[in-house]
Amino acid sequence: MNKVTANCENCPVHNAGNLIKLGIDMSDYDYVIALAGNPNTGKSTVFNALTGLHQHTGNWPGKTVTRAEGGFEFNGHKYKLVDLPGTYSLLSISTDEEVARNFILFGQPDVTVIVVDATRLERNLNLVLQVFEITDRVVICLNLMDEAERNGIEIDVRTLTKELGVPVVPCVAREKKGIPELLQSIDDVATGKYKCKPRRIKKRDKKLQEAIKVLKFKLNKVFPDLPNSEWVALRLLEGDAEIIRAVKSGEIGKILQPDLTSMKNEFTTAEN
Amino acid sequence: MTERDEIIAIANRLRWEVGGNFHDALMESLYKEAGEIARKTMRKKDGEFAFSLDRKIDKIVTNKWTGFPIMFILLALVFWITVQGANYPSELLSGLLVGDLYNFLRTSFISAGVPDWLTGLLVDGGYLAMAWVVSVMLPPMAIFFPLFTLLEDFGYLPRVAFNMDSLFRKVGAHGKQALTMSMGFGCNAAGVVATRIIDSPRERLIAIITNNFSLCNGRWPTQILIATIFIGGLVPAHLAGLVSAGAVVGIAILGIVFSLVTSWFLSKTILKGEASTFNLELPPYRPPRILQTLYTSFIDRTLIVLWRAVVFAFPAGLVIWAISNIQINNVSLADHFINFTDPFAMFVGLNGIILLAYIVAIPANEIVIPTILMLTVTHYGLQLSGVGVEAGVMFEAGSIDLTRQILEAGGWTVLTGINLMLFSLLHNPCSTTLYTIYKETGSWKWTVISALMPIAMGFTVTFLVTQLWMLF
Amino acid sequence: MNPLVSLILFGLGILFVMITFFPEKGLYYKWKRALLSTERVLIEDALKHLYDCEYRRVNCTLQSIAGNLNISSDKAAELVERLESLRLITSENGNLHLTKSGRSYALRVIRVHRIWEKYLADETSIPETDWHAQAEVMEHELTPAQVDELAARIGNPVVDPHGDPIPSEDGDLPGKEGEILTNLSENDFAVITHIEDEPETVYAQIVALGLHPGMQIHVLENSPARMVFEADGDEKILAPVIASNITVKRISRTEEIRKDFKTLSSLKPGEKAEVIKISNALRGLQRRRLMDLGVVPGAEISAEMENPFGDLTAYRVKDTVIALRKNQTDHIYIKNIERLKNE
Repeated sequence: MNKVTANCENCPVHNAGNLIKLGIDMSDYDYVIALAGNPNTGKSTVFNALTGLHQHTGNWPGKTVTRAEGGFEFNGHKYKLVDLPGTYSLLSISTDEEVARNFILFGQPDVTVIVVDATRLERNLNLVLQVFEITDRVVICLNLMDEAERNGIEIDVRTLTKELGVPVVPCVAREKKGIPELLQSIDDVATGKYKCKPRRIKKRDKKLQEAIKVLKFKLNKVFPDLPNSEWVALRLLEGDAEIIRAVKSGEIGKILQPDLTSMKNEFTTAEN
Repeated sequence: MTERDEIIAIANRLRWEVGGNFHDALMESLYKEAGEIARKTMRKKDGEFAFSLDRKIDKIVTNKWTGFPIMFILLALVFWITVQGANYPSELLSGLLVGDLYNFLRTSFISAGVPDWLTGLLVDGGYLAMAWVVSVMLPPMAIFFPLFTLLEDFGYLPRVAFNMDSLFRKVGAHGKQALTMSMGFGCNAAGVVATRIIDSPRERLIAIITNNFSLCNGRWPTQILIATIFIGGLVPAHLAGLVSAGAVVGIAILGIVFSLVTSWFLSKTILKGEASTFNLELPPYRPPRILQTLYTSFIDRTLIVLWRAVVFAFPAGLVIWAISNIQINNVSLADHFINFTDPFAMFVGLNGIILLAYIVAIPANEIVIPTILMLTVTHYGLQLSGVGVEAGVMFEAGSIDLTRQILEAGGWTVLTGINLMLFSLLHNPCSTTLYTIYKETGSWKWTVISALMPIAMGFTVTFLVTQLWMLF
Repeated sequence: MNPLVSLILFGLGILFVMITFFPEKGLYYKWKRALLSTERVLIEDALKHLYDCEYRRVNCTLQSIAGNLNISSDKAAELVERLESLRLITSENGNLHLTKSGRSYALRVIRVHRIWEKYLADETSIPETDWHAQAEVMEHELTPAQVDELAARIGNPVVDPHGDPIPSEDGDLPGKEGEILTNLSENDFAVITHIEDEPETVYAQIVALGLHPGMQIHVLENSPARMVFEADGDEKILAPVIASNITVKRISRTEEIRKDFKTLSSLKPGEKAEVIKISNALRGLQRRRLMDLGVVPGAEISAEMENPFGDLTAYRVKDTVIALRKNQTDHIYIKNIERLKNE
């Protein structure tokens, strides 16, 4: 079965069952894109630029609370875009963060676009690194490039792409600059043309590293297909109730694998 | 024990070894990595001109001497533009919806042979209430909120919260409550939604529950009318305008005082245990995109007002018409209620008509005065020259003098006027606001508290005012 | 009706409501508390007391139970009899000991108590002097399933806010570490690991001094009359009786000793510094939010401006400006204060 996944570069990775459970209508779409980012980074503006909708945006940290959805077409593929609540982090226990975290983890979007404020790169990277621990398929939208320029900030996009291991697209979403390039990158990652190799945290506290190693070993034994066992181990150590529940019930193994039943059907039809 | 349970058990054991500062260590390692990447890829040009304009603006708007004047001038400007700008479109809409369209609908219903009771219920009741809400509510909302949104987009509003926080901290609230309160002056439901910017659970609940004390624009017209008739009437004619305006502003300020005192009380009692944190980000200033903001904000508000008119005001109109026309023993339901509650209402210096009007007008405060006038005329069977009043048909008297005559015939005194102004400030939020509170808090408990607490305060205050008034 | 009469009636009504529902002291709350003193409470409190004796390696007797639970000797004798018949304790020459099942029962109660304290500390704003009293009530009310659910929700904590370890679901509890503060001598360095929350009055004094687990202690004077020490740089004086309620762990290696104890609240606009530590006094949501915003050890932070009343300051950290209140910045430690260029 693993062979099939490897061969199917263009297959969507999202977990349709869970997405429907999360309230997403999946009937007409090929790929699902999640839009994440810190509050007040122009996330809603990017959302509007991509979908052509008019969601109100404001210069207030944390404006979007309810989840907005929209769709767009690119290169003949139909995309569903889901705007997640703006969060500083995915590690604290607040409703917004849980919504964003659960969507990325359980929904397995085909691409997660993280909107990053170019004027506050360091703080925004904190969230980026956290998302990297959950999913590989990420595109960075480096927004507010004009503001950065005005403030004398220069960002070496090529080095940043190399350091992060995922596409980084500089944008000025208010003026729709960089949006075509962003769409292209999303398409490349969604269809598997671009292989993301996101950077993972290496330096950690020694005691912690040891504990993670033990848990990872055990997790990999029970759930051999778990792609992000390190992150699951971390969450277990922190006592994340949702993850503990998912491990106890074995659900975590299913979530992180492509849908088995549909795969089986494909497999048999291919044989015939 | 299954293998899966074993994993959990191992994790629990390891947690002992890792120690309690796990979260701290994790965040530190993340930021260390983020810092490293940023250092490699980001360069700040020399000269430290980053954010220098922001700094200059901040120096002025948060200065001890210039900060508050700027804040008051900007807010006063927003209110002034709203009041001035709403006047004309309000009259226009009222003439159109309550006048022409209403007459047109009525005649077409009659000529189409619709039974009288159905015409009464739908046109005189439901439609009229809807039209009233739209004409009173829409223009100020469509002006006030876009202006506010412009200040927000520019990045000024967080600075207001920064300046005002000292006051709000003392009553156990968050500086951002200054903003949700200001929004409440436009519409309490919008003010409640705006509390989303407060990310601390306790302070957010405080802001939600106390937002009702901001006199919303559905209540301003009531205040102005009653103040002009009863307070303005106490002083010589040339001072009347000033004094009655002063009285209305006084009620609004009283509302702010109640809001602060209640915030303090809540933070010390029922909300004492709710989690509390403080953070206030001061985002960089950004030039607002005026046209787009005006457009989206205008569309948003208009939709909300229309939705509210249809969902809440229309049924209220049906009820008003029905209780005035359905009779038991030859007396209408409304009259039964008024006769029954009059003796109790005396204690708080109001009357049964006012109580009934506030019950049926829970969906929309805008129709309180038209309902009171209609009920007063029909209850006392007043004969008015030039006005044909039918049971269940709300109306606004053409002139202030006529309004005064009607109210005085209904037994109103200065005391009734003062109490009505107080009660209009201190009563349950309208049903749109209550619905919003329920949606935002997800809790019946807080919704019920938000509804009952102001009513209890309203009755207490009007009771004390009435009894002391009679004592001296 | 005469207005005076109605006003008086109104006043009486208010008085009645106040007497009945006044927080903590009202009749309603007294009545509710009285209902709680049931047999279960007595049994559980007695077991906890016996466990405490075991932990401190002292002998427990019928009298000590009577004294600790504030009941008559007759009642205590009845209680001991009941405990013996339930096979929760055994007695030996008047000394009482826990049986195995008695011990695990006691640990279960302690687990509830400490988890509830942790919950109050992290997820609510209940003042720390009230934690213990509230946990004393809750420990008799929650079922094991409820406790496990609560524990999972707050991240299965391992230490309560006083520094006491929380027994695991299976009743495991690591041994006691550290020593009593009064054991230290002049010029010793140590870290507070635990603060005893009983008796209440003593605990209130310690809280009033702002002492928390995790603070660094530097002993300046230890005499029979008083103990003088620096806690995170601030000088404190305690009577030895009170100091003996604090448990500490010595700092063995000199490089772990921190010398610089400036707080962020002392940073003036136009100055920058490096964050070295967020005190344990900032916990739960408060602490997580600060870290989310980039206030972590090692971060560079500069003070930008004060609000017009001077009690809220805006700081720039990681290119973001955030305003923090003094009750937060008093608990953030910094070092290497410098003036910014161009100011």
